[in-house]
Amino acid sequence: MIDFLRSPQLRKVGLVIAGLILVYLVVLPLRESTNNAQLFTLTLMFTNVGVAINWNLTGGFTGYIDFGHAVWFGIGAYVTAILMSNDSIGPEIGWPPVPSIIAGAMVAGVLAALIGRATMRLKGPYFSIAMLGTFLAVREIVRVSAPLTGGGVGLTLPPYLNRPLFYYLQLGLVVALIAFSWWLRNTRFGSSLVAIREDEVGAEMRGINATRAKVAVFSFSGMSTGLFGALFAYQFTFVDPDVAFVELRTVDAVMGTMLGGIGTVVGPIIGAVALYWLKEILWANFLDFHLIVQGVLLIIIVLYVPKGLAGIFDPRVTSITSLWTKWFGGESEDAYNDAESAMSNNGAASEGSEASATAELAELEADR
Amino acid sequence: MSALLQAKGVVKRFGGLIAVDNVDIHVDEGEMVGLIGPNGSGKTTLFDCLSRVQTVDDGQVTFDGVDITRKPPHKVAHLGLARTFQVIRVYRDLTVLENMELSVQWRDVTISKLFRRSDSTTTDKADQLIDFLLLTRLRNEQAGTLSGGQRRLLEIGMSLMSDPKLILLDEATSGVNPSLVDEIKERLKILNQERGVGFLLVEHDIRFVKDLCERVVVLNYGAKLAEGPPEQIMEDAAVIEAYFGDDGGTHAPSPGQVDDAPERTETV
Repeated sequence: MIDFLRSPQLRKVGLVIAGLILVYLVVLPLRESTNNAQLFTLTLMFTNVGVAINWNLTGGFTGYIDFGHAVWFGIGAYVTAILMSNDSIGPEIGWPPVPSIIAGAMVAGVLAALIGRATMRLKGPYFSIAMLGTFLAVREIVRVSAPLTGGGVGLTLPPYLNRPLFYYLQLGLVVALIAFSWWLRNTRFGSSLVAIREDEVGAEMRGINATRAKVAVFSFSGMSTGLFGALFAYQFTFVDPDVAFVELRTVDAVMGTMLGGIGTVVGPIIGAVALYWLKEILWANFLDFHLIVQGVLLIIIVLYVPKGLAGIFDPRVTSITSLWTKWFGGESEDAYNDAESAMSNNGAASEGSEASATAELAELEADR
Repeated sequence: MSALLQAKGVVKRFGGLIAVDNVDIHVDEGEMVGLIGPNGSGKTTLFDCLSRVQTVDDGQVTFDGVDITRKPPHKVAHLGLARTFQVIRVYRDLTVLENMELSVQWRDVTISKLFRRSDSTTTDKADQLIDFLLLTRLRNEQAGTLSGGQRRLLEIGMSLMSDPKLILLDEATSGVNPSLVDEIKERLKILNQERGVGFLLVEHDIRFVKDLCERVVVLNYGAKLAEGPPEQIMEDAAVIEAYFGDDGGTHAPSPGQVDDAPERTETV
C-alpha cells in the first residue's frame, strides 16, 4: 500500500488530476452559470493557497516558524490603500491601482528584510513569538497612526469591480508561485535553506551564508504575501486594522501547510484548499462555533497527523514539533540508534549539551 | 614560513568563567596536531573560537595569512578551514548523498550556480568520497538513521567536500566502535599523505593521537599546559597531574590510561 502511495505512477496520476483541475479553473468564468460570488469565493481561496505557499518557504523549507505572517498581508493592503485612497480620512494621494499594488508588495518585502534581519537571529519558538509580537505591534501602530492610515475607521478605496480579472490574476499568481516553489526547492539555494532548517550552525560552518539566505527567502515571502494583501485591499475596496491584520490568516496558513505537509511543495496547496472548503462548510452550517471546531481540528492535526497528508506519501516530511526540537535537541531527539554508541554516549552527551548551551548564550550576546 | 593556522593569545570568557585563557596554537600546512586535555579544559571552546562559531574575546586568529578573528563562520569555511563537531551535525532529514552535495565549497557557488540544481561533478565527487569512507551502501539512506560511527564518517566526508586545507576534528572517534576507529585512522592518514590535508584533532583516545600526530598540545583549565611530541607529553609530570591529580606519585599511570573514556582504553 505504502509502496503504491510513493510510486512514480501515482505521481503521474496526480499531475494529470492537477492539470484537469487547472483547465477547469481556467474555463470556469467563461460559463454562463458562474456568478461573481462564486468567483470571489475562489479568488479568496487562491489568496489562502498563495499565503500558505509563502509561509511554507520560510516555515517549511527554512524551518523558521512564523506566527505573524499575516503582518505582510496587512502591510501590503494598507500601503496600497494609503496610496490609492481619495478618502478625506487618509492623505489623499490618489495613485492609480497598478503602481499602488506594486508599491504595496515592495514595501512589505523591504520591511520583511529589515525586520527579518533582526528577528531571524532568534531561534525556534523565540522567533515564532517575536513574529507574533511584530504582527500585533504593527496592527497597533496602524491603528494609532490616524493621519496616514485613517486609524480605527480605516480607508475606502475607489471601487473597481471586475471579478473575472482578479480571478485570473490570482489564479495566474498562484500557479506561478507553485512553479516557483517547486523550482526553488530543486536549486542549490533551496537545498541550502533545508540545510539551515536541519542544522544552522553546521550549515554556516560548511560555508553557507545563512543570514543572507534566510533573510532573502523571508523577504521574498513577505513581498509575495504583501502582493496578495494589496490585491485583497483593491478588491475589498476597504481596509481597517481588523480587516487587514487578521490573526486567522496566519493560523490558516500554518494549519493548511501542516495539514498538507510542512516543507513540501504540494503540502501547502492541498492543505490550504482542503482547509478552505472545510471552513466554508463549517461556517455555513455551524456559524456560532465554527472557530471552535477549527481549533479542535488543529489540535487533532498536531497530535495525530503532525506530518500532514504528504507524510503518508513520504516519511521524510517533517513537522512543527520536530522543527522546534531541532533547535534545542541536538542529538537527543532520535539519538543514536545502535547500542554500542549509546553506551559511550553518556559522557559525550552531557559535555555536548553544555557546549551547545554556552554556544546559544554566546550567540545571544554576540553582536555579529 | 608562517603557519597555516595561527592563534595568538586567544581568550574566551563566559561571564566570569575564562574558558580559553591566552592560548597560542599553530598548525602548519599538512601537519597533524593533537589537542588533548581533561573534560572541561576548553578544547571544544577553543575549536569554536578557531572556526569562529564563537566570538573571540581577545587575541588574534589568522588562517592562510588572513585575519579571521572577526570573520563570520561561512567566510572562514570559504578560506579552506573545515571542522566536525563533537555533537554530530549532519542534516538528518536528508540522505547521505544530499548531505554530501550540500557541503560543497560554497565560495565557488556563484549566484547563477546557486539557482541551479547541483551538478554531476559534485555528485561524482560526493560518490567518490562516500566510497572512500565506506558508506556506499548507505548512500540513499536518511542521515538520521545512521549509527553514531557512520555519522562521524559522514561528517568527515562532508568536511572533505569543500577541499579544505585544514580540518578541525572534534572527537572523531567518540561513540565509534574500535574496528571503525582503526578505519577512520587509516583514512585520515591517507588524506594527510596523499592530499596534504592538515588536521587539528581533539581526542580522548591517546593511542589515536599518538599514532597520527607529530605534535600534541595539552589544555588544562583553558590554558596551555604543555606542547611537544606525543611520547614526551605522556611522560610529562604536569600533564599526568592534570588528568589524575597529584597523589604523591604512588602510582605512575601508564600512558595508555591518559584517557577518560575507559571502555576504549588500551595500554600502550
